[in-house]
Amino acid sequence: MFLNKVIPTRYSLVLMVGALSCLSACNSAYTPATAQIAVSSAAVSNADGAGGQQYAPSDMNAAQDKLTRARKAMNDKDYQLADNLATQAQADAKLAQSKADSAKAKLAADALEEDIRVLREELNRANQ
Amino acid sequence: MKIIKLTTALVIAAAFTTGCSSVPTTTALLEQSHSDYSLAQQDANVSNYAALELKQAGDALNQADSAAQHHANADTVNRLAYIAKQKIALAQEVGKKKSAEASIPLEAQKRDQMRLDERSNEVDAAKKETLNAQNATLQAQAQASLLAQQLADLSAKKTDRGLIITLNDVLFSTDQATLNPDGIHTIQKLGDILRENPDRNVSIEGFTDSTGSVTHNQILSERRANAVRGALQLAGIADRRLLIHGYGESFPIAPNDTASHRQLNRRVEILLSDDSGELTSR
Repeated sequence: MFLNKVIPTRYSLVLMVGALSCLSACNSAYTPATAQIAVSSAAVSNADGAGGQQYAPSDMNAAQDKLTRARKAMNDKDYQLADNLATQAQADAKLAQSKADSAKAKLAADALEEDIRVLREELNRANQ
Repeated sequence: MKIIKLTTALVIAAAFTTGCSSVPTTTALLEQSHSDYSLAQQDANVSNYAALELKQAGDALNQADSAAQHHANADTVNRLAYIAKQKIALAQEVGKKKSAEASIPLEAQKRDQMRLDERSNEVDAAKKETLNAQNATLQAQAQASLLAQQLADLSAKKTDRGLIITLNDVLFSTDQATLNPDGIHTIQKLGDILRENPDRNVSIEGFTDSTGSVTHNQILSERRANAVRGALQLAGIADRRLLIHGYGESFPIAPNDTASHRQLNRRVEILLSDDSGELTSR
């Protein structure tokens, strides 16, 4: 037919390989957890930058440990485990970051309160 | 019998099957997440400041519950429950953070107001201090000019040793160590000065002419100085402020040749100390 003439045999081969590879990807039932690991990795470094290691060391360590294990699972082609670990690492890292943020906000509020306490004392002394 | 046994077995098997299909998977972690969630719901900071985060935590908890309902294995349920638990904790931290941040502007305003109060207190205190200092200066000046006036009344003379008031012979009874009424009047004026200037002390020094024996003159000079001290004590001046000395016929201020010259030499000099009470000895 006309169409068969237009599409050479080697093109149809490429198409077939593409279809097969798509099929095999679907077959593995899981897309590689690359994206999830990238997101978790970003969350971990953000938390680290926010002082997670200082203010929430256990959550921070858990996040880093799980991220390492997720990468290893990726290498071992255990995509399901990699995705699970990356998701948990992300939750841990975000918690570590929010703990650091709230600790810093509390420090600022406490410092202000302390300023006020000292000022009040000075004013009381001056009024005596 | 056989039939009954079979029926029982069937019933048990059925119960087991329905049990499996109606009782969801439960794990300690899922229960923990549920109780964390209830606490977070009651947390005012969370409801005020982290409603979105709590909603996301609730969604995660629903996923875990849904997996449990569908008899997912314990690992899967725990995995989802863990995510929910961390998200609940995150909501609480966000609540804490925003509540702390919310207090900051108000507290900062309070602090600034207090700093302002403190500053104006300091300014007030400084003004008051300046005023006090000015008053003190004015008072000191007034006292100094009063003292100058009073000393002028007593004909005080400026010398190298300081101001000297001379009580001459006419203020004493002849050859006696008693002050006559004019002498007492003069001493009372001096007493007023010493009361108003409590930091000043006096040295009371007696002198005679060269008539009579040296011993007689020495004793007379001492007794006259002593009489002045007694009169000042009567005027209320403390003894420790009054130094006395008899010089007899030493240090004449005129030659002992005529009666009027000798009268000049018969005298009591009262040396007034400076502000610090220091006296320069002769």
